[in-house]
Amino acid sequence: MSQRGGAQRPNGAAQGKICQFKLVLLGESAVGKSSLVLRFVKGQFHEYQESTIGAAFLTQTVCLDDTTVKFEIWDTAGQERYHSLAPMYYRGAQAAIVVYDITNQDTFGRAKTWVKELQRQASPNIVIALAGNKADLSNKRMVEYEEAQGYAEENSLLFMETSAKTAMNVNDIFLAIAKKLPKSDSGGQSGQRPQPGVRLNEQNQASEGGCCK
Amino acid sequence: MDEEYDIIVLGTGLTECVLSGLMSVGGRKVLHMDRNKYYGGESASLTPLDEVYKLYKMGDKAPEHLGRGRDWNVDLIPKFIMARGKLVKLLIHTGVTRYLEFKSIEGSYVYKGQKDAIYKVPSDEKEALSTSLMGIFEKRRFRNLVVFIHGFDKNDPRTWKELDPQKTTTKEMFEKFGVDANTQDIAGHALALYRNEDYKNASMVEFIERVKLYFESLTFFRDSKSPYLYPLYGLGELPQGFARLSAIYGGTYMLDKEGCNIVYDDDGKVIGVESGGEVAKCKQVICDPSYAADKTKKTGQVIRALCILNHPVANTKDALSTQIIIPQNQVNRRHDIYVSVVSYTHQIASKGFYLAICSTTVETDNPEKELEPAIRLLGSIEQKFITIKDMYEPVENSEKSGVFISKSYDATSHFETTCDDVLDIYAKVMGEPFDFKKDERLEQQQQQDEM
Ligand SMILES: Nc1nc2c(ncn2[C@@H]2O[C@H](COP(=O)(O)OP(=O)(O)OP(=O)(O)O)[C@@H](O)[C@H]2O)c(=O)[nH]1
Ligand SMILES: [Mg+2]
Repeated sequence: MSQRGGAQRPNGAAQGKICQFKLVLLGESAVGKSSLVLRFVKGQFHEYQESTIGAAFLTQTVCLDDTTVKFEIWDTAGQERYHSLAPMYYRGAQAAIVVYDITNQDTFGRAKTWVKELQRQASPNIVIALAGNKADLSNKRMVEYEEAQGYAEENSLLFMETSAKTAMNVNDIFLAIAKKLPKSDSGGQSGQRPQPGVRLNEQNQASEGGCCK
Repeated sequence: MDEEYDIIVLGTGLTECVLSGLMSVGGRKVLHMDRNKYYGGESASLTPLDEVYKLYKMGDKAPEHLGRGRDWNVDLIPKFIMARGKLVKLLIHTGVTRYLEFKSIEGSYVYKGQKDAIYKVPSDEKEALSTSLMGIFEKRRFRNLVVFIHGFDKNDPRTWKELDPQKTTTKEMFEKFGVDANTQDIAGHALALYRNEDYKNASMVEFIERVKLYFESLTFFRDSKSPYLYPLYGLGELPQGFARLSAIYGGTYMLDKEGCNIVYDDDGKVIGVESGGEVAKCKQVICDPSYAADKTKKTGQVIRALCILNHPVANTKDALSTQIIIPQNQVNRRHDIYVSVVSYTHQIASKGFYLAICSTTVETDNPEKELEPAIRLLGSIEQKFITIKDMYEPVENSEKSGVFISKSYDATSHFETTCDDVLDIYAKVMGEPFDFKKDERLEQQQQQDEM
């Protein structure tokens, strides 16, 4: 049974705690959201990545000193395309990566809109990172590094230029987010969600607290 | 929009979203539109609270003392989820459950007219024997009935107690066990969840299956005190979850679309849907009744009173969530009255507040008065919002045009009839019944996610 954001004690493991966080991706179509996730979770890159179908919910862990941070990663599933992203998407998200394509100025403008939207809709302590993706295509650059960095500073966002193709800064941006997330005993809850509910699955039925994994 | 789709779905209520999800998973190319700028249609949870005041034309702003508007997610229809019912099967089958978190409803109560009081519906054998709902001898008779139901297997004559499942009505079964009218009301309305008395002359098998579903649902979580689940942030999360499923499998979503008029050819077959002067082509349409008014008929009315409280309902042991059933016989009606209570613990109200929704099928010209027995149980009310809704269902053979229309949400307290509607429409659109056996595409997806 997994409790979103709930601290869990790993079975029989002596090392420190595990914190689970919900992380959402936002950004214009084709900027490389799914590619970043695919690189981070599976170490792969596809030149002809299909517009997101299927894999829109992946998990990956990173280790920080004595803490294991487990990311539950939500990709938009294309629902942002016609401004039809459901509020459920932001709900309870503790981190967000807003992605733009450094070769396309419009996608940077759209990224700024997403940041505003997050500041309005998401929980107040959400950690937001801005990713200028496709950094390998710097010969076609349309968004200057300094411009994006300045914007990120003004809005207290983490900022990195990334490349899902070469893997540049991909792990790093997730790691930077992990570092910035609050890892109190309540596992990043920031005291906002007093008693989380339970997930349903075949295993948890009538056997809460079971410990065979 | 000017593309061609297999199916266009209109309206993002739960029925439409589940169907959209199942169709996309099944490989259909789906366009899903809504006239509203939010998901959920009739099954939405409104937020912030100001939106509720606007909807009921009670000004633009909710009063200050109700707390932060954004903490509210107010359901428009009152329903709970049977823990072992069809909706949970669909949630688990499709993996949509991973987007949601649930809480168990803390208790289920039944009203007894004679005593003008509510009593806890026994949730296990111990409670059944200690309940003050019935006298000592009646308790034993009730227990015998429950034991019979538990053991009943329609394929094993040894469990039938000489009652032929083919022929015996529920009434005859009650007579055999000698249970009195009060106990019948509890069994028929609070356990089998029938809304009127028609079930007594129907086969006992359906009755038995419903009671079994109730008891099985009770064992879903250890220590649950009711058979019901409720999603955090309100029922509106359910359609959103299935919409996400549909989008993941390639479904296209457009909200806030004006018009959404279904376009037919000369033979009355659907050819597409028009919005803002553009027509999206399709072979089939699935929609809620509001998008195809000319192909639906009114079947009755429901009345619902949304009541904001700043206290739990009396005599429910301060439960943060509960259901109260007022069986029709107990208040001389033909349809039961339901009260469902959820609260801030479900992230649907700001701290300290409760939302109680009273509902029933309208029988008279003064529907508000019909709800009185329920309203009385609530105590002081901060704010009351009344809705009287017409219920619709498709007229016969409407699907010949390629347009498949769902039914309005009825007055039942759970989603079982909604799921029946979903499965029925699914079978008509796809030409074969829905198969709960694992779907190949879903299985691959779930394996991927485990990595
Ligand atoms: N050169 C280069 N191409 C990239 C990079 N990241 C993604 N791409 C390519 O950009 C295209 C779009 O990438 P996706 O990951 O599908 O983009 P997305 O943001 O998920 O798009 P949607 O799912 O449609 O919203 C694909 O053809 C990728 O191969 C990158 O870092 N460098
Ligand atoms: Mg994508």
